[in-house]
Amino acid sequence: MKRFVFPLLVLLLAGLFMTESKAADFFPYQYQIYTLDNGLKAYLIPVHGSGLVAYYSIVRTGSRDEWEPGKSGFAHFFEHMMFRGTKKYPGPVYDRMVTEMGADANAYTTDDYTAFHMVFPAQFLEKVVDLESDRFEHLSYSESDFKTEAGAVYGEFRKGRVNPWWVLEENLYDLAFVAHTYKHTTIGFEADIKNMPNMYDYSLSFFKRYYRPENVVLIVTGDFEPEQAQTLIKKYYADWKKGYVAPQIKKEPEQTKERSKEVTYPGKTLPILADAYKGPAFNPEDKMVAGAYLLGDLAFGKNSELYKKLVLDEQKVEFIADDFSYHRDPNLLIIYTMVKNSNDISYVQGEINHTIEKFKSEAVSESRLNDFKDHVRYSFLMNLDTPDHIAGRLARFVALTGSLESVDELFSTMQQLTPDDIRAVANRYLQSTRSTVITLEGEQQ
Amino acid sequence: MKKHIFLSAIMVLSAVLLITSCQKSAGDKMVLLPVKEDPTISIRLLFKVGSQDDPAGKEGLAALTASMITEAASQQNSYAQIVEKLYPLAANINNQVDKEMTVIYGRVYKDKLDDYYSLLKEVVLTPAFKDEDFERLKKSTLNYLENYLRYADDEELGKKALHEFIFEGTSYGHIVEGHVSSVQSITLDDVKEFYKKYYTWENLVIGLGGSYDDAFVTQIDNDLKALPRGKPVQPAAPMPKPINGTQVLIIEKPGANATAISFGYPIDILRGQEGFYALDLANSWFGEHRNSSSHLYQVIREARGLNYGDYSYIEYFPNGGSRQFPPPNVARRQQIFEVWIRPVPNYAKLFAFRAAVRELHHLVDSGLDKEQFTLTRDFLKNYILNYAPTTMSKLGYKMDDGFYGIRGDYLDIFPKKMSELTLDKVNDAVKTYLQDTNMKVVFVTDDAQKLKDMLVNDTPSPIEYSTPKPESVLEEDKKIAAYPLVIEAGNVKIVPVDQVFQ
Repeated sequence: MKRFVFPLLVLLLAGLFMTESKAADFFPYQYQIYTLDNGLKAYLIPVHGSGLVAYYSIVRTGSRDEWEPGKSGFAHFFEHMMFRGTKKYPGPVYDRMVTEMGADANAYTTDDYTAFHMVFPAQFLEKVVDLESDRFEHLSYSESDFKTEAGAVYGEFRKGRVNPWWVLEENLYDLAFVAHTYKHTTIGFEADIKNMPNMYDYSLSFFKRYYRPENVVLIVTGDFEPEQAQTLIKKYYADWKKGYVAPQIKKEPEQTKERSKEVTYPGKTLPILADAYKGPAFNPEDKMVAGAYLLGDLAFGKNSELYKKLVLDEQKVEFIADDFSYHRDPNLLIIYTMVKNSNDISYVQGEINHTIEKFKSEAVSESRLNDFKDHVRYSFLMNLDTPDHIAGRLARFVALTGSLESVDELFSTMQQLTPDDIRAVANRYLQSTRSTVITLEGEQQ
Repeated sequence: MKKHIFLSAIMVLSAVLLITSCQKSAGDKMVLLPVKEDPTISIRLLFKVGSQDDPAGKEGLAALTASMITEAASQQNSYAQIVEKLYPLAANINNQVDKEMTVIYGRVYKDKLDDYYSLLKEVVLTPAFKDEDFERLKKSTLNYLENYLRYADDEELGKKALHEFIFEGTSYGHIVEGHVSSVQSITLDDVKEFYKKYYTWENLVIGLGGSYDDAFVTQIDNDLKALPRGKPVQPAAPMPKPINGTQVLIIEKPGANATAISFGYPIDILRGQEGFYALDLANSWFGEHRNSSSHLYQVIREARGLNYGDYSYIEYFPNGGSRQFPPPNVARRQQIFEVWIRPVPNYAKLFAFRAAVRELHHLVDSGLDKEQFTLTRDFLKNYILNYAPTTMSKLGYKMDDGFYGIRGDYLDIFPKKMSELTLDKVNDAVKTYLQDTNMKVVFVTDDAQKLKDMLVNDTPSPIEYSTPKPESVLEEDKKIAAYPLVIEAGNVKIVPVDQVFQ
């Protein structure tokens, strides 16, 4: 901690930039928000004792932002390119420095954002701020490296493509969306992945448009002092130029009738059913959003009546689960079911429909709703137990809204939900005209 | 009302650092890791039973029995009721089964301990063993073997097949989940008998971590004495058959658009033994799991873009595709050296295999140089901090220390041992434990016969790229493509994917 001693002047200058302290509310840690003139925002969450710091750079760009034809999967591919180095720290030098620190460094890409994360011993904070700011500002790679990395991405595609869930998702999103970029999955269409080696020039443009300070949020948690981090962030990121260009994402037109498709998986699997409904964009203050999350769990989660009936009592289903998660734009609320026997698919679909109608017409009990609220809150808090877990849990919220405050807002909204709110959510979103149903079966029996 | 509980989570992290100074041992029966500021309590009930105890023809019984405890009814509550009661606690009762040990574990907020513990206690002491739960869990296992493992995850299939191949004929010779026919033959009576024989008080080690109090220690100690009694005989440590030359298993999967490759052989060294830390350093340089510091990763992925990653291991590391760090409590008396080459395009399968074997040859032949040694030593001294950041994971490691007979705390000892290493010690360990001539290999691929012919005939495997590569890479490629393989036809067998784990 005391390795970094800075002249008073630097600290005074740091004070010219916007700093805001936040008291703990639902989110249990105190934190500071530090914003540079160029728009880069940093959430600084000191949590002492572990000797580690988790450093997350959240780029608010994911596969959602791949709006140009033929460019699906590019956000993910670009995540790979970010490890290819700069003139100051070429790829092998970057790798070596990360290795020397014993850092756990990696990245991932989702539909709505890309996260670069590193966990390292606290004494290396300045080195990490230097390394991370450098690649975000000055990434530089050869066309040859670019083409080689495309091979690794294709390898990632090949690795996953054998899985029926990949095939299912690819078909589901392709059918559910006609205009919005959520039409393709994050890994992208195979034809586009195959063509990636030819998109070097495009990659330069991608970097210039999206890897800009006003589109990036830092989350720093662990063993450090916020003042120290502020000084370093200012020192290394202040020269980063603005220049974010928003993607031209088409708005998805209102869906007016049910869509469905039967898909064949070129292997062996039990049949899988995906019932998806157009849902809301994330808004932490909207009861419909918070309610949708709870509705999924109440109606189709492991503690739902339907789970007990289909999985435990009748044993017609191997697996049922909901994915009513949060997204930047209106996305899908999905119920996944793995059915043990093809002959039961219609029956299972009927039971899902029946459950939906029940939630539209009957309110859940207050006590049951409270049990589910407790489950969500305790689950969230129990997982805030290491610097990496804290930053990792916050990443999506920060990516969707640009703000960590959305966590407190969401859980506050959730606490206010009543049984009637849950019924209203079911009526609002779980309409057959908003649905897309995929039935996947294996080619081999 | 509950606010103070959540706020106290703030202190968890600061407490974790203090753990090592307040660990105390309660003999072999209990491993205690008090962390007063941790608002949660971690419980690990480790039974000294695993798939090595599966009776012949009933492979998969240990795993199914554990599931019948944690994913099924107790005598007091149906499974649905247990799920319902656990739900507001945001807690689970989990199991993990490996060759030598089974852990039933969970974590809960301190203020919910009573509710949680009463459920945990009843499932462990009084499982109901109902027919309906048994049928459900048995079918689930069969679905995993027949559909998921054979079709949905080629690299996991290859890795599991490699372990069976290396340990064939020993108590480690089948995967924990068992085989299709053996699982089909398991009856509910088998489960009941297995529970009675192995889930005994004498076979149990209790692990507690977090903010439990002394009264709870006494309570759990007293309560679990109600377990069946008896000390089952542990099977002898596995003695894998010596491997002569390169033996290959090709799992044929028609239409596979990529090839998963794993290879390895037994090594006679365990965590904590002389030479282990030196070998661990060499292995980290050669193939650190999912890390760009891995030399294999640099050669196959970074320079040539042939796949997503390439790693090596000297300790068992389950579910490597979805984990960054190994879980505790998969300790074993016999480990293997294992190389994992993630799926490569079919045209590059023989080239990628040759590249990995050639790199292993160089490692065995030349060892590490001073710079590689120093860099990897510095890396590991810090990287070990990531292995067990939570009370639960530290508790698990502590319990493994008992298994390996490590005095003190492995996680603390590790960086000290790194500091004591020298390049000579590391290279001596490489010479002692690693070799590149006797190994078993598994390919999951299409067109198995063609691959067999190429392996047996030592057919060169030149590679062409659709994208330009530096001259140095192309020059090295020529050497890789012609790297000699000595494989006898009788040492290559082809198995259709539908017969694997049958």
